[in-house]
Amino acid sequence: MAETVKGFKIDPKKLRIYGLVGSVVGIYLAYILNSVTGTNIFSFVGALAALFSVVWGANAVRRVCAYGIGTGVPSIGMLSLGMGVVAVLFGLSIAEQMGIGLLGVIIALVYSLIFGYVVGLIANRVMGFNIPVMEEGLTDLSGAGTLAILGWSFAISGSLGYADIVHSVINTGFLAIIFICGGLAILHPFNANLGPDETQDRTLINGVMVGGLSTVATGVCALMTLGLAAGMVQIVVGFAVWYYFFVWFFRLAKRDASAVVGTGLLPPTVQ
Amino acid sequence: MNFDANTIIYLLEIIVGGLLVGIGVHFVPVGGAPAAMAQATGIGTGTVQLAAGSGLTGLLSAGLMMHAMSLSPTFAQDGYSIWPILLTGAVGAMIMMDATMLTGSWIYAYAVGAPFASAKVNYDPITMFSQPPYVAPGTVGQGIPTVCFVSGTIGAAMGGLGGALIYFPLVLINGNPAMSAIFAIGIFMVDAVLASWNIQGTIEGFHDPKFKKWPKAFKACLISTAILAVVAVLITPLVGGV
Repeated sequence: MAETVKGFKIDPKKLRIYGLVGSVVGIYLAYILNSVTGTNIFSFVGALAALFSVVWGANAVRRVCAYGIGTGVPSIGMLSLGMGVVAVLFGLSIAEQMGIGLLGVIIALVYSLIFGYVVGLIANRVMGFNIPVMEEGLTDLSGAGTLAILGWSFAISGSLGYADIVHSVINTGFLAIIFICGGLAILHPFNANLGPDETQDRTLINGVMVGGLSTVATGVCALMTLGLAAGMVQIVVGFAVWYYFFVWFFRLAKRDASAVVGTGLLPPTVQ
Repeated sequence: MNFDANTIIYLLEIIVGGLLVGIGVHFVPVGGAPAAMAQATGIGTGTVQLAAGSGLTGLLSAGLMMHAMSLSPTFAQDGYSIWPILLTGAVGAMIMMDATMLTGSWIYAYAVGAPFASAKVNYDPITMFSQPPYVAPGTVGQGIPTVCFVSGTIGAAMGGLGGALIYFPLVLINGNPAMSAIFAIGIFMVDAVLASWNIQGTIEGFHDPKFKKWPKAFKACLISTAILAVVAVLITPLVGGV
């Protein structure tokens, strides 16, 4: 009965490159598409770019948390987004002040990577965690959190300008939705799949699936900030991502289960 | 941005706020998942959730006080005064934490039916009641004994004070309450998570032996908040207003 399901195993270093390049290129691609066509319909590309960083972050969570950090997986996801939100605001604001608005993404990313590394150092040296991948993992997480917030912020604001993001993402409070939904996409996969039989592909597919749901949430926000068309496109894309990866995840879960049995309907069927 | 004496004061306020959050976490009786099953002393959820909850209520109440001040007819001359804002933040966080502990206690007492006992001390330092006879075998205490309640209230006050101390200078720097609140939450999360890693997820309060580890969290939060604070003071108001 064993159904063959497409599985994969990716080296963390490769995954880091995919996440980093995919997200940055995706965000800029969304920006270019939006400004060339003069619409905001392509804002959903920003949300898709965030999915790359979600996969990157979810993989970092599973690497670090496999050692056991004692406080539950959600704490590290919230840390990731906490570092990310500071880096995003700083990067966009500084870039605007220096008159290089477009490079805000890069400044935010560089700051977050440095800060993540410092927090990792603190955790290992001061707190005495002695987790070998802690520095690496927190650098990854910080960068992933930053790019996820940037991607979804772009999906809501349709622009990379500091003023636009402050106006349509921060003042409206939608950043809180990105914070929690994005955090869920990064922390939930490992939290849901952890255990001795945890497999990388199942965890990461789960991450993309939650990312799709987060895209639906930001799409609802975009209905208000970008208008009906851009918001609806985003909701549809988010739903499609969720559905595709949910089916994939379901197959992987069946693959990894020792047995799949029907329990019958309630009340129990009489044999 | 202008770098002057005020900037240094803002920097110091944010750093002290971050430190208060980090130390405050050590006072809050966090039980985690075992406490949710009444198998450990404390509130049955994680540190981050509690810290975030008390911090956010602190921010809300501090923001409310700032709003109330700005309505005063003499606001143009007086400006903001810092102490009422900080105190309101602390009280807001204390109310949130006490409400959580009180309603949690009702459930532990009347629904789960567990006697409140601490497994870390033989006598409750405040009520002097004996604890070991009430600790169920196989558990590390249940519910929220008096000392944990008092400790949690102190922790929430420190958290709220810290949150308000981060929020207030940020509003003065960038003039945007929404952005300041989000930024304060970011700093809050980093400090709360570092502190909760230091206590490895669970603690009973100031009587817990783990409480002695607070200098480590102090150092960690000092370094991380300093890096965040330098960045925070660089953010300028939006050109052309909000």
